[in-house]
Amino acid sequence: MFKAKKETSDGKLALILLLPSALLILLLIGYPMLSNFYISFFQQSINPNLPSEFIGFENFSETLGDAEFYKSLGITLLYTLLVVAGSTALGLYVAILFNRPFKFRKLARSLIILSYVTPSISLIFAWKYMFNNGYGIINYIGRDILHIFDRAPLWFDNPTSSFILVVLFAIWRYFPYAFIAFLAILQTISPTLYEAAEMDGANIWQKFKAVTLPAIMPVMMTVITLRTIWMFYMFEDVYLLTNKVNVLGIYLYETAFAFNDLGKASAISVILFCIICTLIIVVRKRVNLNASS
Amino acid sequence: MPAVNTKSDKMLKRAFFYVGMALLLFICLFPFFIMLMTAFKSSEEAIATNPTFFPEQWTLRHFVDIFNPDIFPYLTYLQNSLMVSLTASLISVGIAIFGAYALSRLNFRWRIQINASFYMVYMFSGILLIVPLFKLISGFGLYDTRTSLIIIMIVQTLPTAILMLNSYFETIPKDLEEAAKIDGLNRVKVIFYIIIPLSFAGIVSVFVYCFMVAWNDFLFASIFFSSSENFTLPVGLYSLFSTPDYVWGRMMAASIVTAIPVVILYAISESLIKGNTTDGGVKG
Repeated sequence: MFKAKKETSDGKLALILLLPSALLILLLIGYPMLSNFYISFFQQSINPNLPSEFIGFENFSETLGDAEFYKSLGITLLYTLLVVAGSTALGLYVAILFNRPFKFRKLARSLIILSYVTPSISLIFAWKYMFNNGYGIINYIGRDILHIFDRAPLWFDNPTSSFILVVLFAIWRYFPYAFIAFLAILQTISPTLYEAAEMDGANIWQKFKAVTLPAIMPVMMTVITLRTIWMFYMFEDVYLLTNKVNVLGIYLYETAFAFNDLGKASAISVILFCIICTLIIVVRKRVNLNASS
Repeated sequence: MPAVNTKSDKMLKRAFFYVGMALLLFICLFPFFIMLMTAFKSSEEAIATNPTFFPEQWTLRHFVDIFNPDIFPYLTYLQNSLMVSLTASLISVGIAIFGAYALSRLNFRWRIQINASFYMVYMFSGILLIVPLFKLISGFGLYDTRTSLIIIMIVQTLPTAILMLNSYFETIPKDLEEAAKIDGLNRVKVIFYIIIPLSFAGIVSVFVYCFMVAWNDFLFASIFFSSSENFTLPVGLYSLFSTPDYVWGRMMAASIVTAIPVVILYAISESLIKGNTTDGGVKG
C-alpha cells in the first residue's frame, strides 16, 4: 500500500476540499441542533421583536405534562410500527416474487417504484380524491359494489379512519424502498445454496429461514432502522393528507407555527432527538447505515 | 398430496404468479390511473356521485387551463420550483464532489470521525431544525425569499450527497489515479479528468436525489414563504386546496405535470447506472 508514505501530506488539500461542506453543515445543521437546546429554555414567540424570557425547564415540564404530547407519541409509535412492519414485509414479499425471470419484469419493476418516486403532493391529491366522502371511488366501490361497509367511513374527518388512511398511504408509498433494497441483495444469493438446501429436503419456509433470511439480515436491519427514523419524524405526508392524525411532527410544527411557541417547540425537538439517539445507540452495533442511498 | 409435478401443475403455478403480479400492479398503480382519468374528465363528471373509471367525454381543457396564468397560478409555482430545485441540487452536487473525494481518497487526521459524523444526519431530520432554521433565516433577512429555500435545500441534501458520492468513488480503481499522477496530473486535475467522468452515472443519480428532495419539500417552503409569488409547487398547490380555484381536473392535471420532471429524471439516472457499469457502485 502507498498509504503510509503520505500519511499527513494530504491534510491541507483535504481541508480545502471539505471546507465548504463542513462549514455549511456546521452552520445549518450542527449549530441549529445545538441552539435547539438553548432556545428550549426560553419563552419565545415567532415575532423577533418580542423579548424572550428565560424560564428554565418550564418548556420541558410543560411538554412532558401535556396529555396531548403522550397521545401524539402513542399515535406516532403505532404509525411507525405499522408502516415499518407493513412496508418492510410487503417490500420483501414483492422482492422475492421478482427474484426470478419473467416476462415484463423490468417494466413491472419500474411501475412498482412509481409511488416511491412521484412527489408526495401529486399522490396526496389523488388519494384525497379517491377517498372523498361524497364522490370518491373507494367509498363507491366499498359501499355500492362490494358492500364491505354500509356507511362510508369519513376518511378525512374521523380520527380512526384517517389513521388507517395515513398508514395505508405510507405503506403503499414506501414499500418500494424496501423492495429495491431486498431485490438487490436477493440477487447476490447464489442459487447453489438453495439447491443444497433442497437436496437436504428443505421446504420453502425452511429454505427462507436457512438461506434467505441470514443473507438479507444486514439489509433488513438497515431498512428497518432508517424507515423507523423517517416515519417517527414524519410530517409532510400526514399533514397534507388529513388534520385528524396528530403525529409528533405535526405536534411540533403546530406548537411552533400555529401556537407561536418556539421555546416549547424546541423542547419537543430536543425530546424527539433524544428518543432517536437512544434508538440509534441501541441498534448501532448491528446496523450499517452506510448501505442506504 | 405429493402428486407428480406435471406440466399442467407448472402452468397453474405460473398462472397464479401472473394473476398475483397483475393484482399487485393494479393496487400500486390505481391512484395514478385515477389521477390520469380525472385529469381528462370534465369538472362536472369528476364530482358525479356514481364515479366511473373512464371519462365519458375526454377533455384536454384542464391541461390547457393550468398553464393559463389568468386562471391558475401554476406557471409561477413551476418556475419557482425549477429555480429552487435546479440551483440547490447543482450547488449541492458541486460541493459534495470535493468533499466526497477528500473523504474517500485523501489521508488526513479525523477522516474516519468526519466520515462517521455524516451518518448522524439521519438523526437530524428537517422537522427537528425548523425552529432554529426559521430564526436563522429571519435573522439573515431571508424570510420570504427563494434564496432561503435554496440554502436550506443545499444543506438538507449535502450529507447524503457526500455519502452517496463517497461510495461511488470507492468503486473507481485507485490504480487509475496513481497512473494519472505518474503522468503528471495533480490531485485537482485528477478529480476533473478521472473521477468526475468515471462516476458520471453516480453524479447524475446524486443530482437526481437532491433535485427530488428540493422538488418535494413542503415543510421548509411552508414556513419560509408568506407571499404566493414565491411559492414552490407543493406549498402552492396545497394553498389552493380550499379556494374556488380548486377544480379536481385541474389539480390532477397539475399533479401529473408536477410528477413528470421527477419521474423522467429518475428514469434517466436508472438507465445510466445500469448501462454504465456492472454494479453501478450502488450499495444497498
